[in-house]
Amino acid sequence: MTMSSRFLWATFLCGSMLSLAGCNDGSGDPSAQIGPNPPLPALQQFLLPPMHIAKVVGWKQGETPKVTQGLKIEPLATGLQHPRSLYTLPNGDVLVVESKAPKAAAIKRPKEIVMGYIESWATSGGNTGDSNRITLLHDSNGDGVPDKQSVFLDHLNSPFGVALVGNDLYVANTDAIVKYPYHDGDTKITEPGQTLTPLPGGPIDHHWTKSLTASPDGKLLYVGVGSNSNITENGMEAEHNRADILEVDRETGRFRIFASGLRNPNGLTFEPQSHALWTVVNERDEIGPDLVPDYMTSVKDGAFYGWPYSYWGQNTDPRVQPQRPDLVAKAIPPDYSLSSHVAPLGLAFYTGTNLPEQYRGGAFVGEHGSWNRQVLNGYKVVFVPFSNGKPNGKAQDVVTGFLDDNEHARGRPVGLAIDKTGALLIADDVGNTVWRVTSAGTGPSPAARL
Amino acid sequence: MTTYDESGARLATTARIASHPIHPMLVPIPIVCFVGALITDIVYAVSAEMMWANFSAWLLIVGLIFGVLAAIAGLTDFLANRLIRAQAPAWPHMIGNLVVLVLAFFNVLIHTRDAWTSVVPVGLILSIITVLILPITGWLGWSMVYRHGVGVLQ
Repeated sequence: MTMSSRFLWATFLCGSMLSLAGCNDGSGDPSAQIGPNPPLPALQQFLLPPMHIAKVVGWKQGETPKVTQGLKIEPLATGLQHPRSLYTLPNGDVLVVESKAPKAAAIKRPKEIVMGYIESWATSGGNTGDSNRITLLHDSNGDGVPDKQSVFLDHLNSPFGVALVGNDLYVANTDAIVKYPYHDGDTKITEPGQTLTPLPGGPIDHHWTKSLTASPDGKLLYVGVGSNSNITENGMEAEHNRADILEVDRETGRFRIFASGLRNPNGLTFEPQSHALWTVVNERDEIGPDLVPDYMTSVKDGAFYGWPYSYWGQNTDPRVQPQRPDLVAKAIPPDYSLSSHVAPLGLAFYTGTNLPEQYRGGAFVGEHGSWNRQVLNGYKVVFVPFSNGKPNGKAQDVVTGFLDDNEHARGRPVGLAIDKTGALLIADDVGNTVWRVTSAGTGPSPAARL
Repeated sequence: MTTYDESGARLATTARIASHPIHPMLVPIPIVCFVGALITDIVYAVSAEMMWANFSAWLLIVGLIFGVLAAIAGLTDFLANRLIRAQAPAWPHMIGNLVVLVLAFFNVLIHTRDAWTSVVPVGLILSIITVLILPITGWLGWSMVYRHGVGVLQ
């Protein structure tokens, strides 16, 4: 397929889509769907699903996201190549995982050509530099501002998750968990990695980000493996060990399915008070602007969360055939809805003390933003208050302004981390920036650094 | 307006290459594609094997594109020659095939859905109706040529 014929296909269908773009898609207030029991409207099927892509324009000099009162934001590192996740090492160095999607599989049907073209508007098409590497940010005087930047690990295969246990650093590439030796103060790893366990990768690799975390005792690793389709349109055989969280034995690499039916689980993190495993999940598309709510949930051992057969518990999805009423009967609803199509990809519990009191113990969620509804949703970092290890209260907007007044994307938040000083770090993949959020009135101001 | 080709035929077509009308060269492609899409839709409905639904999506989009090209050639002949337009089968042939293309357009959109409901039930129903119309419009088209002599050198 040549570029020009791609363009013709896209023009043909987009023309029809644009004619619908001005129409209201009938969606409700997205904030009504935040919390433990979101209202679920009736399922809709479309000739053309509602679509609204925020075209990427990037950050101009001096522009930053907006933060809520009492907070301050500044860029920690810029000029990165599609930074998607972050990890703070014990000595305070920050790992920035720069990652791009793996090579697409062979086209299966005409829709993929059109969707691929439309989705290219929503990614940083202008950046073609090297990615698939981890960059280390080192702060030698402890003021939270890095003064050294080095390529820590290079030539990775669409990496996403990172976890350090002792001197073993694990990187979750899209097709395997790889172990590297790490020693305090290392700014570069040159030793080749050892594969701990392969993960479901290509040739079809639809949801390719493999989120990774280690159990509090360090014996086990948990890895999120997203589904290989929106809703089984690549065939059930493509879904082997997918839409699952796998539990991997760190010694042997043997794994088992810890929980299933989680369409695209990311941000795997242990909640500090209850020590339960939590994840944020991207739910299915194309059955309505208010379906299905994306969510965050504690993950119970052996639990089934519905995908593909049902959503939010036992609401069956007619697009899946053959249906499995036996599995639907076992499906449990998740804990907390983040609203539909917000695309949560990052989760960090706040254990630091730098930010105001109200944030302690709660969870920050990075919402990459919607495409499958007319009114954009997400494109921000929210805070969900917790008490006794459970969400307690409505999610609040903490970092916004990723969209400009024309609803173009200056950036899109993905992975989150808390740095050693207790600041919140945000990976912005199309803005190619890592942002650092601190309390207003603490730390060096951007002006002082000039 | 009445056009005559080199031999002076009264029912000459306008969209032609060396006296060979273009419309009948193109029409087999959408016919084969739409019949094929009905077959692959049926096989998918029976098997739930996604490969067959993918075949349907390709057949429908190719059938639609060549159907539009065939329609452009056919409409050119229809509009440019008053005598062709005056033949009894001309109007029902044209209207029937426009209905086929409109149905195929919606069927292409239905087939962009994911998995089962990209075919069952609406896609399959549209494929059946499309294929039921084709023998009627095809019969009328053949009448235009074999009985009325449209595009035939005299």
